[in-house]
Amino acid sequence: MSEETFMGVPRNTIDWSPIIDFNKCNYCMECVKFCPHQVFEVRENEDKKFIVKNPDNCVVFCRACGKTCGLDAITFPDKGATTKKIKETRKGMAGNE
Amino acid sequence: MSKSFAVLPCNGLDKGAGCISREIALHLIEKSDSEMICPVLYRVADARYTKIAQEKPLLVIDGCQTRCASKLASEKGLKVTAKLTVTEEAKNRGVDLGDSLRLGQNEVKLAEMVADELLLEKEPEKASESETASDSEIVYPETYDYEVYKKDKFIFRVPKEGFLFNENDSWAYISGNKARVGVTDYVQQSLSDIMFFTPPVVGSEVEQFGELGAIESGKAVFEVVSPVSGRITAVNEELSVAPELINQNPYEKGWIVEVELTDLESDKELLLEFEGYFKILKRKVDDFHV
Ligand code: SF4
Ligand code: SF4
Repeated sequence: MSEETFMGVPRNTIDWSPIIDFNKCNYCMECVKFCPHQVFEVRENEDKKFIVKNPDNCVVFCRACGKTCGLDAITFPDKGATTKKIKETRKGMAGNE
Repeated sequence: MSKSFAVLPCNGLDKGAGCISREIALHLIEKSDSEMICPVLYRVADARYTKIAQEKPLLVIDGCQTRCASKLASEKGLKVTAKLTVTEEAKNRGVDLGDSLRLGQNEVKLAEMVADELLLEKEPEKASESETASDSEIVYPETYDYEVYKKDKFIFRVPKEGFLFNENDSWAYISGNKARVGVTDYVQQSLSDIMFFTPPVVGSEVEQFGELGAIESGKAVFEVVSPVSGRITAVNEELSVAPELINQNPYEKGWIVEVELTDLESDKELLLEFEGYFKILKRKVDDFHV
């Protein structure tokens, strides 16, 4: 189910997933309900009621769950830096062939 | 003459932001000819409100991102002319909303400010925007040749030539140093009936994978992830009155913006041609589309 590559680059070399600021979060769970990619996992009995369990399931450059958060508790990595890194990885891979 | 609306607030009683939506609506009906639609009564008795919503431009006020009022409008098949979300308005104005369900000074002031701004919205600016939209010289084909992937009753079209795609389901159709940009059938099928389009600002710069406005249905909000980098030269003005054009055909009349390209060669490294995207689309449809 998880996407293993993005533009030919192994997904696990790309750092892209939601970063939750648990100081702001009120555990309304809108983001968890919204994402269809099993990125989050609910932990009912713990202090943090959910975690980003599968960051590599997150669709690279998607920011959709961020929109569901009324408290602005969700941020994402810098997209320019991420784009650059992916391009570099691609170049590196082409060089190895 | 001052503007007036049919106002549909969410009136959420257990959230501060919902209570503010009501306050904004009250200001609007006091200060203009606007009429209010009660979301609670609307659920059980529609005739009266549906008429109001047809006679005046409909303004939807959601308290928070749960978007109850938007969802109600979508259920009732109403045409949304304007909308706002209280939490966003608060954020944009740097107002901190307290936890209380009673309105404090800040909340009352926020409601008043938002209402006043709505009533004096500047029409002329819109006209000049549409001028810039129409002065593009490029003539785009009326229709394209599509490959189709079917799943149950859903049909996913992907144009076979001339388009580049990103994995975030947006496309770019390049001509010269300009590109027309939109979303693919995957997006419109997943959202189903699109009821609102929030355009990006004409003249602003966008990076590859940056945001190019948002489209919204009763189900969700989708941020358009730009396939290219450049300057936005036009937005499809028709979408503000007829966002359903995106459902009808997101590659033709449902295009979203035009962009003057700044770094296409580099953007292309992270774009797919038809074959690549079609494969990804099929996989997504098989995995997620229900
Ligand atoms: S950014 Fe998109 S894919 Fe990633 S967790 Fe949020 S909704 Fe899911
Ligand atoms: S939407 Fe925001 S506040 Fe709600 S659970 Fe997610 S991060 Fe927390």
